[in-house]
Amino acid sequence: MRPILMKGHERPLTFLRYNRDGDLLFSCAKDHTPTVWYADNGDRLGTYRGHNGAVWTCDVSRDSARLITGSADQTAKLWEVSTGKELFSFRFDAPARSVEFAIGDALAVVTTDNFMDHVPTVQVKRIAEDIDDQTEESALVITGIKGRINRAVWGPLNRTIITAGEDATIRIWDSETGQLLKESDKESGHQKTISSLSKSLDWSHFITGSLDKSAKLWDTRTLTLIKTYVTERPVNAVDISPTHDTVVLGGGQDAMNVTMTDRRAGKFEAKFYHKILQEEIGGVKGHFGPINALAFNPDGRSFSSGGEDGYVRLHHFDSDYFSIKM
Amino acid sequence: MAGLAPEGSQFDDKQYDKKMQEILTEDFFTSYDDVCESFDSMGLQENLLRGIYAYGFEKPSAIQQRGIVPFCKGLDVIQQAQSGTGKTATFCSGILQQLDYGLVECQALVLAPTRELAQQIEKVMRALGDYLGVKVHACVGGTSVREDQRILASGVHVVVGTPGRVFDMLRRQSLRPDNIKMFVLDEADEMLSRGFKDQIYDIFQLLPSKIQVGVFSATMPPEALEITRKFMNKPVRILVKRDELTLEGIKQFYVNIDKEDWKLDTLCDLYETLAITQSVIFVNTRRKVDWLTDKMRSRDHTVSATHGDMDQNTRDIIMREFRSGSSRVLITTDLLARGIDVQQVSLVINYDLPTQPENYLHRIGRSGRFGRKGVAINFVTRDDERIVFDVQRFYNVTVEELPANVADLL
Repeated sequence: MRPILMKGHERPLTFLRYNRDGDLLFSCAKDHTPTVWYADNGDRLGTYRGHNGAVWTCDVSRDSARLITGSADQTAKLWEVSTGKELFSFRFDAPARSVEFAIGDALAVVTTDNFMDHVPTVQVKRIAEDIDDQTEESALVITGIKGRINRAVWGPLNRTIITAGEDATIRIWDSETGQLLKESDKESGHQKTISSLSKSLDWSHFITGSLDKSAKLWDTRTLTLIKTYVTERPVNAVDISPTHDTVVLGGGQDAMNVTMTDRRAGKFEAKFYHKILQEEIGGVKGHFGPINALAFNPDGRSFSSGGEDGYVRLHHFDSDYFSIKM
Repeated sequence: MAGLAPEGSQFDDKQYDKKMQEILTEDFFTSYDDVCESFDSMGLQENLLRGIYAYGFEKPSAIQQRGIVPFCKGLDVIQQAQSGTGKTATFCSGILQQLDYGLVECQALVLAPTRELAQQIEKVMRALGDYLGVKVHACVGGTSVREDQRILASGVHVVVGTPGRVFDMLRRQSLRPDNIKMFVLDEADEMLSRGFKDQIYDIFQLLPSKIQVGVFSATMPPEALEITRKFMNKPVRILVKRDELTLEGIKQFYVNIDKEDWKLDTLCDLYETLAITQSVIFVNTRRKVDWLTDKMRSRDHTVSATHGDMDQNTRDIIMREFRSGSSRVLITTDLLARGIDVQQVSLVINYDLPTQPENYLHRIGRSGRFGRKGVAINFVTRDDERIVFDVQRFYNVTVEELPANVADLL
């Protein structure tokens, strides 16, 4: 497959997200300006200007009308997707890390990092339909997690919130009361920082990537470990195909060590595994820095990767991919 | 033998090591061995930490772990580290930690050898210091003198500049040195070389006698260290041995080209590979930049070019286009050999091999920046073979013959 290279970010990529219809791709990077691209041909549609720091994550509403971004400038911002207009800014005492809209887009979950004396938090914000009614108030604040929370997402029917991060533990919380419902098993679970988390299309299961060089598939309701995908490099990004039994992993050695070691040690390919058989199907090369972000298009026919090298690479799958037999 | 490097040449590794050993055994340096594994443990003020994390830093690199704290304590420092490993953020953080933000007078002066590099440093300083309200100005040649005077008169905390313009501002008293307490030389060995040394000396004479000095570079030959003794007071040193300076993440290749005239054809053959990501092509003279640019364009290849004779507005536009990815192939001289950090550069071509040995390391260090692998290709004529041999021995690297599948390496 011949990739489409998308240039526009001047610093490392951090996150990629398709809208529900799969025609738009949103990218975040350390250069302050989230960008939206046409997901079919990689043309740049626009940028969202206003953040004053690296942007760690984003999410887009179901109707593709609104974008939410979480940034190291200690704010999470709401934007109008079509015009790039900044609608609202939630301010925090620490860098905002992970953001996600709930089903129905009336709520959003935001995490903040540990910063000096501030402990990491998971916060639920109400999202007003009319922006004039929007407030900064948190409907819920969860503390008690040690170490950075790299990812927090909604569970089925918005009843729960799933968190994962630096302490290698996945937790499920009640989204109304903030009560801790479940924790991942220490023995079978990840052994190092969990860097990334991505849900299946129906949210019944999710995959996590870790610096322990593996990715794991979990049942969303029971937090039972279903599958493990072992690789030979730290995993920075993961995603599950919406249409096929495949998962994709990306990563590579720590950015700090990349220039100090021989090029063969980088291992920057995106690796595809059979979701059920746990076997590696193939890989896609191209990045010359660690992969920090991966996303499947909701139609399952293409995927995008973002790297430390500042590139977004868009790949449309060959017909071979669709006829793989195991 | 006529082909041998003369005794005392900078490629003479025994001579280099002998001189270095002499300097290091003298009682001139301060010992400082602390390592801080997180930014939080460095004792930095809160708004500086906010700026560091907002910039996207999460963990300090090796030079930052060792280098930020001694600078923050007001100690003179000599800090050497490989290309692209975080030296700029080290001295920017050190300066920002020590400024008095209530005093809007120039308190820190940073000098860099090129306008492009000074502007890049200013941008990092401004970003890291945003929550502190830092006022920083890039004072470089080729821009409006009147505008510089106006900005300096309105008050700034930090000036980042090139020596010529900075000296001019000091001489005109537009930049007053009374409150300057920190002086940083980036690419210090270049700044202390023949080309800049006199200007640095003139500037230093105008600064207060009690001043903290920091010198930073990826290359720090003994000649440069010798000079630092004249204006530094018991500096803390972080040095790297010459055979550990090259980054393994930058793969180095050579192409044998019998005659100079055939380099152009070789470059055109490689053009499709060049344009996949972003590439920098180095030649040795400004006239040759123009010549090569014309030749490439006449063969319908899209290239950008920049060198010191071009007017500043054009240089700025070209750098902006190259940084944003609008243009992908940049032909230049050693003007851009040092310091320039463009995210998507993954290939450097030495169309001409550098005349100064340190510049070999600096040129190939334009790819293979923090978190990214790189490739360097050297065009080697019969006359150049000796240089390649010397580089390999001196820096302890292997330069292999270019394979046919070079595109796979990018």
